[in-house]
Amino acid sequence: MGSSNDLRVLEITVISGEDLSINRKQPVKKNAFVTIKTDSFKEQTTKMDKDGGGYPAWDEKFVMDMPMHARYFTAEVRCKTAAGSRIVGTAVIPASDFLGDYVPENYLHFLSYRLWDSHGERNGILNLSVRVKSSSSVKNAYGGGCSSHSAGCSRPWSRIAVGGQQVSNGEGVVTGIPVWS
Amino acid sequence: MGGCFSDVKGGQQAVGGGGIVGHLGAQGFGGAGSAAGAAASGHNDAVEFFFQTKGVQALYTKLELSVSASKLRDRDIISKSDPMAVVYAKKRNGTLEELGRTEVIMNNLEPTWIQKISVNYQFEIVQPLIFHVYDVDSQYYNLPVKNLKLKDQDFLGEASCVLSEIVTKRNRTLTLNLHNRDGRGLKSLGTLTVQAEETVASRNAVEMTFRCHHLDNKDLFSKSDPFLRISRIAESGGSIPICKTEVINNNLNPVWKPLCLTMQQYISKDNPLIIECFDFNSSGNHVLIGKLQKTVAELEHLHQTRSGVNLVSPPSHLRRVEKITEGQLFVDGYVKKQLYSFLDYISSGFELNFMVAVDFTASNGNPHNLDSLHYIDPSGRLNAYQQAIMDAGEVVQFYDSDRRFPAWGFGGKTFGGSVSHCFNLNRSPTDSEVTGIEGIMAAYSSTLYNVTLSGPTLFGPVINRAAEIAGGSLSVNQNKYFILLIITDGVISDIQETKDALVKASDLPLSILIVGVGGADFTQMEVLDADDGHRLESSTGRVATRDIVQFVPMREVHRGEISIVQVLLEELPGQFLSYMRSRNIRPHFPDVVHASGQGTLYGV
Repeated sequence: MGSSNDLRVLEITVISGEDLSINRKQPVKKNAFVTIKTDSFKEQTTKMDKDGGGYPAWDEKFVMDMPMHARYFTAEVRCKTAAGSRIVGTAVIPASDFLGDYVPENYLHFLSYRLWDSHGERNGILNLSVRVKSSSSVKNAYGGGCSSHSAGCSRPWSRIAVGGQQVSNGEGVVTGIPVWS
Repeated sequence: MGGCFSDVKGGQQAVGGGGIVGHLGAQGFGGAGSAAGAAASGHNDAVEFFFQTKGVQALYTKLELSVSASKLRDRDIISKSDPMAVVYAKKRNGTLEELGRTEVIMNNLEPTWIQKISVNYQFEIVQPLIFHVYDVDSQYYNLPVKNLKLKDQDFLGEASCVLSEIVTKRNRTLTLNLHNRDGRGLKSLGTLTVQAEETVASRNAVEMTFRCHHLDNKDLFSKSDPFLRISRIAESGGSIPICKTEVINNNLNPVWKPLCLTMQQYISKDNPLIIECFDFNSSGNHVLIGKLQKTVAELEHLHQTRSGVNLVSPPSHLRRVEKITEGQLFVDGYVKKQLYSFLDYISSGFELNFMVAVDFTASNGNPHNLDSLHYIDPSGRLNAYQQAIMDAGEVVQFYDSDRRFPAWGFGGKTFGGSVSHCFNLNRSPTDSEVTGIEGIMAAYSSTLYNVTLSGPTLFGPVINRAAEIAGGSLSVNQNKYFILLIITDGVISDIQETKDALVKASDLPLSILIVGVGGADFTQMEVLDADDGHRLESSTGRVATRDIVQFVPMREVHRGEISIVQVLLEELPGQFLSYMRSRNIRPHFPDVVHASGQGTLYGV
């Protein structure tokens, strides 16, 4: 579907997750994946991170349409289990967070959200980036380069392991918990 | 009191592979070239440059000290001590100035620390050094090393020497005995070995992704938990560890996260590196699975040919010759990088823009009273607000080209008669800018007597206004970075709105420096500074993208414990670089060219 007047085209990169647990206690071991839904029919799902555990990394980019009137889109993190999959947590990404009030329309937004599990409790953080693709093919000046390749591309945050396994991009921490910059 | 158990997860973290270009106190954890630690106190490029332009120049050689210790005392009950070393320079008046700290190694009485301490060697003065070794208590494991309070840790021993003693030794290595503070007690507390090397300033770095295949199993009931440790062979012949990967549990075919090695660490592509693969044991006795020796150039070749090289198990008491194991090492990723420093950006035309917000709440006290924080002394002595504006402004204006600064007041009643939480300091209805630091000072003193101090203390409106300016500038170009200085005497009343504003601003080219004046309890402000790793969360569930706040209480500056210049410039370059880098924005050098077809130019 082309960019009609009713749709906005978004470039959403699902980057990583932090501190995800199952059952509120144990960290997720593996096979976490994310489903992005911009309306009831449009959704895309990342591949599973086979060994990321509670700090999975996906670095997958989706180009999705979102209705102009929509006020948010959702992200659902699930974990594949023997019996199907379980919800780890969901986040709601309000459109106001990337439909910039004062930044240029095609600004690359790096956003992070608290994930809420099915009991309504906090369960980790989801990092993603969103860019609104303008309908005319204007060259985007704001760093499209980062979302397209995963190896060696840094993110503005680093993954924090509060008592969990630490992943790259850390600043110095005693024994394990990096301070992010 | 030492902890009973060491922090196993902590001990499994990667060290040294963060691509940090040799900065004092920067803890290089993790892979993928984070700029997070790029600025730290002391030998920070930005601070040095600032002082140099003021005429403070010294002839010196930059050195890096590698520290290791042996036969340390065991202070933990069930496990062994978790040692960390701190290096101090002893000043003329006897006080100690901390030069840096190593990382904490868990469960080890013979530690060889990876984190180097930078020191400037000036041959014309005597530079006494003091080394302290501490056993870090497990309750502090979630804190960055620089935040550890040493008095809460177990002291393991002290050693002292003069820098020139180390440098003049043949292999620049000196071994000292550790003793009690004040030299009391005859019991041997172990030894400390220091090695000094000149730092090689270079922007080249290499990011490598290692993988192993078919490693030997060294664990009884499960599989090995392998990690790699990379060392380089020093001129003196010994090996100096430069980094280690994280530990991957229970896996004989591990793929580790990428390691970014700076040229400073590996010196040259033809310098041999020793890569050792260990099986991690929480007791600290890691079993060597195998090792090999390769130069960076050879690793590049391995990557290009996609071939593996066998790990070699050295001779042991059971076997007199070395054995070639079946385990193989592969280099899955090899990317050349250029690490641009903060100064590279500044010198290529990037600008810092300074903005100020002054607290006009009633808690400061009536400005006509001597004890008010806003009292302007006719003798010319600066009050806390003026001092903060001068100190921070002097540093930042150095990097701001047009010297036009937006300046606001908040918490006071102006001409309108109602309280405003963001009014122009120059009381102009349209333009918030003043010229120069002197312009800020003039606007401040004149507005002080034309405003009724009121309240409450709210930061939200000022932060949102600054964010608007920072975001708005992006439509024009992307080489401006904004710094908002907020000077306040008190605790804020809108902590959640402030967090919301900060979270919104965290993805913009903006950093916020909050200076607390007066004697209030600023613990709440420290929460905003997020140095403990917890990211700020807004009321809508959005989490801050990066830490953009720095808080400094003015009374600590007055006590001489810290200099506002250093605090300000400590995190700021890192925040600036993390913004630029995450968006692949590089300095605008006219001759920026790829080192080879393969490299990615990368602002770090």
